[in-house]
Amino acid sequence: MEGLPRPGWFGFGFRGFGQALGSERGLRGSLQGPEPLVVGGLGAGDPEKDAAAQVTQVRPSWSFTGFLTRDGRLVLSGSVNGQLPGCRDLLASEQHLLVLRTETEGSPAEMQAWAAAPELRGTPLWTRQILQRGDPPNPALLPLAPEPGWYVRPMQPFSQPLCPDLKARQLVYTWGTGRLGQLGHGALEAELVPRPVEALLGLAMAQVAAGGWHSLCVSEAGDLYIWGWNESGQLALPSRTIAEREKTVAGASGLSSCSPEAKKPATDGDGDLAQFIAIQPFPALLDLPSGSEVIKASCGSRHTAVVTRDGELYTWGWGKYGQLGHKNTASLDQPQRVDYFTDNLLHVEAVICGPWNTYVYAVKGKD
Amino acid sequence: MSGASVSDNKMSARYSLSEELRALLPQTKEGLKLDFSEKIEKSVVVLLHQARELFYEGKKNECLKTSEIIIDYSWEKLNTGTWKDVDKEWRRVYSYGCLLKALCVCLKTDDIPEAIRVCDMGLLMGASILGNILVKVVNVLQKHLQHGKRHSETRIEELSIKKTRSDSPMTPAVKLETAVPRLQCPSLEFFRKNYLIPQKPVILEGIANHWPCMKKWSLDYIQEIAGCRTVPVEVGSKYTDEEWSQSLMTVNEFISKYIVNEQNDIGYLAQHQLFDQIPELKEDICIPDYCCLGNGEEEEITINAWFGPAGTISPLHQDPQQNFLAQVLGRKYIQLYSPQESEHLYPHETQLLHNTSQVDVENPNLSKFPKFTEASYQSCILNPGQILFIPVKYWHYVRALDISFSVSFWWS
Repeated sequence: MEGLPRPGWFGFGFRGFGQALGSERGLRGSLQGPEPLVVGGLGAGDPEKDAAAQVTQVRPSWSFTGFLTRDGRLVLSGSVNGQLPGCRDLLASEQHLLVLRTETEGSPAEMQAWAAAPELRGTPLWTRQILQRGDPPNPALLPLAPEPGWYVRPMQPFSQPLCPDLKARQLVYTWGTGRLGQLGHGALEAELVPRPVEALLGLAMAQVAAGGWHSLCVSEAGDLYIWGWNESGQLALPSRTIAEREKTVAGASGLSSCSPEAKKPATDGDGDLAQFIAIQPFPALLDLPSGSEVIKASCGSRHTAVVTRDGELYTWGWGKYGQLGHKNTASLDQPQRVDYFTDNLLHVEAVICGPWNTYVYAVKGKD
Repeated sequence: MSGASVSDNKMSARYSLSEELRALLPQTKEGLKLDFSEKIEKSVVVLLHQARELFYEGKKNECLKTSEIIIDYSWEKLNTGTWKDVDKEWRRVYSYGCLLKALCVCLKTDDIPEAIRVCDMGLLMGASILGNILVKVVNVLQKHLQHGKRHSETRIEELSIKKTRSDSPMTPAVKLETAVPRLQCPSLEFFRKNYLIPQKPVILEGIANHWPCMKKWSLDYIQEIAGCRTVPVEVGSKYTDEEWSQSLMTVNEFISKYIVNEQNDIGYLAQHQLFDQIPELKEDICIPDYCCLGNGEEEEITINAWFGPAGTISPLHQDPQQNFLAQVLGRKYIQLYSPQESEHLYPHETQLLHNTSQVDVENPNLSKFPKFTEASYQSCILNPGQILFIPVKYWHYVRALDISFSVSFWWS
């Protein structure tokens, strides 16, 4: 298939600090559509081929991204640069990098906190040894965080603005500030202690993700539940901001059974406030237009991306920096398929959102 | 010069606008100080330096893009957690972003209303930078705004301030036994001894009636001074309603949407520190002398504007400071309950609304709130030129009977 992008990682959205996202063309301008990921410094070969072959995980923060490679290196790109050998995982934030170092000859597995600086030099701010207590799971082998979008300050006892967490028995717990409904408990109060989301009891959850002000979870059956602040349409509920903007997005391919209210053109947005939803304080079931099951989901600061069982990628929410991948900068309050992947016969397997960008892993699809 | 074309005049006007704006800024980029605490992430400081450099190099397009990023990122910080916990440093960053964006918008596209709107965003959500430069920038921009554009399309001289909403109930009767007492120019000592110390409401007459605003303010005047300025408006009949929301719009838009036209929704420019945003209006009001009887400094007094159509309602609530409510345009009906009556007033139990009663004062649900009938109260109609003293934590309910403009002074 001459000319089609090869399977591997793709990126689109914000790259204002030069973090690797797609091709290196266009300097630091946002990528409005997916491009194959190119990461410099991975190896001696072609950077694009290397990225596809070598990168196993992507950990994006706002101004930099960390890439974990097959040979255990952490490669940093953007406002933070450099490489660290012997790394299993990274929790990236604008203040700190929390790195899980693998056990080597002479040193045990440990967690290290580094200050986010242009180069990681010297010694970490602190380290903690990982003590194995015998029984699996080996903590050194667990991922640092199931999903990016966790805000952790290692210098303070877990001061998190919001944090859903997947625990045993597949219950969803949330805690933190709740002013915008992001905890899913119905009221807008903060929770200082993890509290199960009652509306989801009885449903086996496979995955959980948190954005800046919204949260979601995916059930084992492939249903998507979403709640929190809808100011940029990130809940796929009718958004007043979007309706009032001049640029309306007409229904794209694949959208057939959207609710009629959501498709109302932006005439006088003042007419009926009741149709717009600013805050959804309880989990709401979200059906994708194609009716597909969701297998993976990720949240950026104000956008959402999900992968379906059929290998399609849908995105919605804030689009100003191209993070939705629809080749424009429009924000959407309805899920829209990222056609780049279907057009190029790619089957999407994973998606990881940074605050303002999106990384996707796709393999060759069946015709 | 008699042969000068219109476009020549425009060119010279444009030239002087950019000159005037540049005169507000330091000559060199090093003069534009970018000092921030460690709280501001290094990557953001890098962006600010880049934006400053681009601006002084005349690269308006790129500066605009970088300013947008600064605005968007700091906006996210401003919306994290509760407003009062937001670090003032992030609000300063936001203001820098707005300053550079406004200047670039203006110098690049001549879109003065948009530049003013961006400055207003910095004033509403940011914090003072470079000697409150955003206020100075707006002043320059407003001067250069075409005279006609400062007003809205609709002329409203014919509109009587006493216009009441067609569907609102009649003016409430104030029973003599529940009337708030009125005093004519009491001495500081008399007020202190008989009302401030015992914490009793009173209407002060003869104090504010000579303030410039009492003669000068009209819908026309307000549009003249502030028509193009962006302000926060509460939409929905009460802030306790589910469908209540906040919007940003220009004063012109607010007046034409919610004051001139009978809309379905009520819009209220409420609890807004308009006089910090528009210092020109501050010159028309005065700080009541009685505020000096408090402990705080004059700079700490919070002055809020309350401007809206007839029918705006502030549900029964209490505030943590003493309040002088000065009426400028139109009349307000006010009902007052002592803090000692709190048990009869059913405050909400949530943190967010614990200072607000659940009871609708003029239409109470007595089966749900039976003790409300036992609550004793005082009431009044506050007229232009009068000031109502509302002691700290005194419960108050306010309904505008006409198009109304009030100014409140919160002091300790």
